[in-house]
Amino acid sequence: MITLIYAGIAIAFLILVIGLLHKPQPLDPDEALAAKSHAPSIGKGHWLHLSERIFDPSDARWLAEELAFPKLAKSLMLGRKRLAIHWLEALQASFDDLVRTPKITPSEAPEANSPGSWQMLWLTLRFKFLVSYALLVVKLVGPYHRLIPSFSWMSFSPGSERSFRRAAWANSRNSH
Amino acid sequence: MHGVRGACPSLVGSMQNAGVAISLCAFVLVGIVLLRGIVGKCFKLFPLFYSYMIYVFCGSILMYLVYWLERQAYPTAFWLYYLVTILVEFTVLAEISDQVFRLFPAIRNLGRALTIAISAAFGLLYMLPVVLWSTGRAAALLDFALRASVTKAVVLAALLIAARHYGSELGKNVAGLMLGFSIYLGVNVANLAAAKLYGRALYSEIYWMMTPIGYALCLLVWAVALWEYAPMPRRISPVAGRDSEAVALELTRFNSELSKLLHK
Repeated sequence: MITLIYAGIAIAFLILVIGLLHKPQPLDPDEALAAKSHAPSIGKGHWLHLSERIFDPSDARWLAEELAFPKLAKSLMLGRKRLAIHWLEALQASFDDLVRTPKITPSEAPEANSPGSWQMLWLTLRFKFLVSYALLVVKLVGPYHRLIPSFSWMSFSPGSERSFRRAAWANSRNSH
Repeated sequence: MHGVRGACPSLVGSMQNAGVAISLCAFVLVGIVLLRGIVGKCFKLFPLFYSYMIYVFCGSILMYLVYWLERQAYPTAFWLYYLVTILVEFTVLAEISDQVFRLFPAIRNLGRALTIAISAAFGLLYMLPVVLWSTGRAAALLDFALRASVTKAVVLAALLIAARHYGSELGKNVAGLMLGFSIYLGVNVANLAAAKLYGRALYSEIYWMMTPIGYALCLLVWAVALWEYAPMPRRISPVAGRDSEAVALELTRFNSELSKLLHK
């Protein structure tokens, strides 16, 4: 029985490898453009301001508490929940585009595993984990719930950005 | 892997001769791969892979020398070489993992991280128990080789899935490395599992035939794939290429924006 399982593993593995080694279908240019349109760059300020509106509970609270329209407040909250999910998915898509961005001038020789590239990998994995978590929380309890009780140990102070800039600069010098 | 695996002295029969002949073909193929690497100046581009090939080439010569000159010491030398090779084969995975995401600065080390994490987890939970609690040396060795092959197959599958997810086009060289190694691992897993089930009396001749066949096929694919250097194709991206620093700063900005949101 064990042999059959291992033989199955071997066959499944070879089929998987051959299947995955097939060239992926290139995206149709129009399709790529359409996919890109819902994932704006994070550098665009108005898109970030939008997130402040989406995740701000004051409108719903004002409707429910001051104007006494609880049904309207609930409907607003549901709409905001959909928007929050869409916003987070767009953020994720935009981030994936950044991760898939190729280097300008790739050197053919393999580069040293500098601390800068490990730090970039850490930032990538951290973002993927946090955005998945945020999506889960928004889908389960809505956009007006405090997303994280306390993640103060994962601070992002301007100092860390400066040190990261230095590491990235050292990394780019190493690669040339 | 092992140019001389088929030449284990304890074997008898025509299958042994066929195994030795295939092993010799495999040895020639190792030489061809190395020669093409020298001619095409690929050593710098795939340093770990060619280090491994040099190891196999020198190891095979050493084993043949021991076999012809000091036959009594051959079984011990063979099993030692076999065990070390099981571990050295991980360098092929390290090479593949280094190449797969080379063009993407943000995830350049993702392959290496996946390889280390999966190998460490499987090493601790799946391979180590065999060494610690197995009954009998032969059974332990067979089981260890089998589990190491399964671990390598899992690492390779994870690398392929990650490469597919991030749209990394592998190119002829790296795809060939992966395909060749997959054939070898697939044959090895099935072969070792059968050897474990049927035992030495029933399966040993087939085993010593199948192992060099699997490896010779792998080497054939490697020789064709690495015949000449083919740069990795670059997918036409909707965004322009960036340097590492620009990508690093964008990553930081994404993370800090998300952190701000999460802390609200």
